[in-house]
Amino acid sequence: MAASGGRLPPIALTTNCPSCGVGLVPETLRDQCYVCDCGHHFRMHGDAWIALLADAGSWHERWADIRPHDLLEWKVPKAYQETIDQARAEGLNEAVRVGTATLAGHPIWLAVFDFRFVGGSLSIVAGERLTRSLEQAAAARTPYVLLAASGGARMQEGILALMQMAKINAAVGRLHQAATPYFSILTDPTYGGVPASLALLADVNIAEPGAAIGFTGPRVIRQSTYADLPSGFQSAEFQLRCGQVDMVVARTELRARLAHLIELYLRPLRGRR
Amino acid sequence: MPGRPRDTLSVWQVVELARHPDRPYALDYIRRMAPDFVELHGDRVSHDDPALVAGLGTWRDMTVVFFGQQKGRNLAERVSRNWAMMHPEGYRKAMRLARQAAKFGFPIVSLVDTPGAFPGAGAEERGIALAIGQAIMGWFEIPVPVVAAVIGEGGSGGALGMAVADRVLMLENSIYSVASPEAAASIVWRDNARKVEAAAQLQITSRDLLAMGVVEEVVPEPEGGAHLDHEAAARALEAVLWRHLEQLLPIPTAELLQHRYERFRYIDSLLQAAPDFGPKVEPRGAAGNPAER
Ligand SMILES: [Zn+2]
Repeated sequence: MAASGGRLPPIALTTNCPSCGVGLVPETLRDQCYVCDCGHHFRMHGDAWIALLADAGSWHERWADIRPHDLLEWKVPKAYQETIDQARAEGLNEAVRVGTATLAGHPIWLAVFDFRFVGGSLSIVAGERLTRSLEQAAAARTPYVLLAASGGARMQEGILALMQMAKINAAVGRLHQAATPYFSILTDPTYGGVPASLALLADVNIAEPGAAIGFTGPRVIRQSTYADLPSGFQSAEFQLRCGQVDMVVARTELRARLAHLIELYLRPLRGRR
Repeated sequence: MPGRPRDTLSVWQVVELARHPDRPYALDYIRRMAPDFVELHGDRVSHDDPALVAGLGTWRDMTVVFFGQQKGRNLAERVSRNWAMMHPEGYRKAMRLARQAAKFGFPIVSLVDTPGAFPGAGAEERGIALAIGQAIMGWFEIPVPVVAAVIGEGGSGGALGMAVADRVLMLENSIYSVASPEAAASIVWRDNARKVEAAAQLQITSRDLLAMGVVEEVVPEPEGGAHLDHEAAARALEAVLWRHLEQLLPIPTAELLQHRYERFRYIDSLLQAAPDFGPKVEPRGAAGNPAER
């Protein structure tokens, strides 16, 4: 099975791999899902994830017209409206995009975080798109695939950003009640309100190799507890050891793994109903 | 309340009142509401979390399950309570006892007062993010009335994990925020000395949250603040908690849970009322995608 549903778009890359130091050839890297020969997984943006996970031509984006609003009239150090306008001028449409697609022919709902939009922060628009898609997935029992990458809740939306965690998790509960398979892929980095809401509540939690995943970031932990954090703290492998994720899967193997899981979870039951 | 001297408090003065060392803490309220309060301990997996007090008692002739994030009055108690910053075990204890309340049909009162969940290595190793996420999801399935009140600090996800309820109240001089002013300043300005500006920008006072529709009611405090008269503060909170719980008791379970769902589902209705927020009702079969058939 092909590692990606379609050809991945170009992404911004450094000149050398931060893990092994080798000089990077963008076109080569693009053909291997932006995974270096040494195993380093480069951060991908929303479009690249959609191209990787969705069968070519199957992505149908929903609720792209929902817009963020500056409810708190946030001014300093930068006006929130300006932050939004800038990100939108770069062609970004919020920190979460959702839609329907097929993955190896299986219909799915797909929700993709984009770290480029205000650090993939959980906002009202993100929460609304996630909740609507979770509700629709539950109603039709369509498998739900989440691609998480986030720095946490969006400060500029204040308490209403925090409230999205409750709004989303209520819908995740209904997804589970409807016995709809839910797969969460946690990528680098996934912190704060996203793992503390929907990202660790899937039937299968999958982490990308080397991804940093946690609630509080290492800088804040060091500041508040003066702790010496071991190397690899909060890595995907650490979270596997701590029982928080089911598996660490290389990006090149991810589609095949998801297709297999969807088959296992959707297989009709025999002898009982 | 408009026109009273307390309206002239700056946001930072409110933050200082919310964190006042003499402010009544959860047990100061719980013991007054239910003098026969019996504390229960442990998550039944590995630990007890002293940052969260939990147990049952008699309140207005009913057995009620109480939760309270508990700060310490002196240094030794603050250390043993971990400054009311919960570990994963606390959220697991809460869910264990919330399910117990559901089994027996006891209503639940949750008092929120925490700077946030504990930012430490052990909490991370034992799954603090998941524990909070499971609690937030779990509250939506607890088929008894739940009333929460922020009595001091409502800090971020650590507070929300204990504040998913049918009614959420705030004491007048309490705060409830997506992040502590210090953390927000550190995230936004990379300088936590800008906490005063951050506090003002974040809109974290009881009046802000009432205006945004995040809480149902603000409970007035004694003149000068709750720390000046614990007795009066407790009487005021008790009366408002009861007024809300009394309304919830007769509601059939299915309706109660649906209301709780919708309370949070449409909590950002201010924004949803905006013309370009997008369709509120899904057109049927609009997409023509196999996933929707
Ligand atoms: Zn490399």
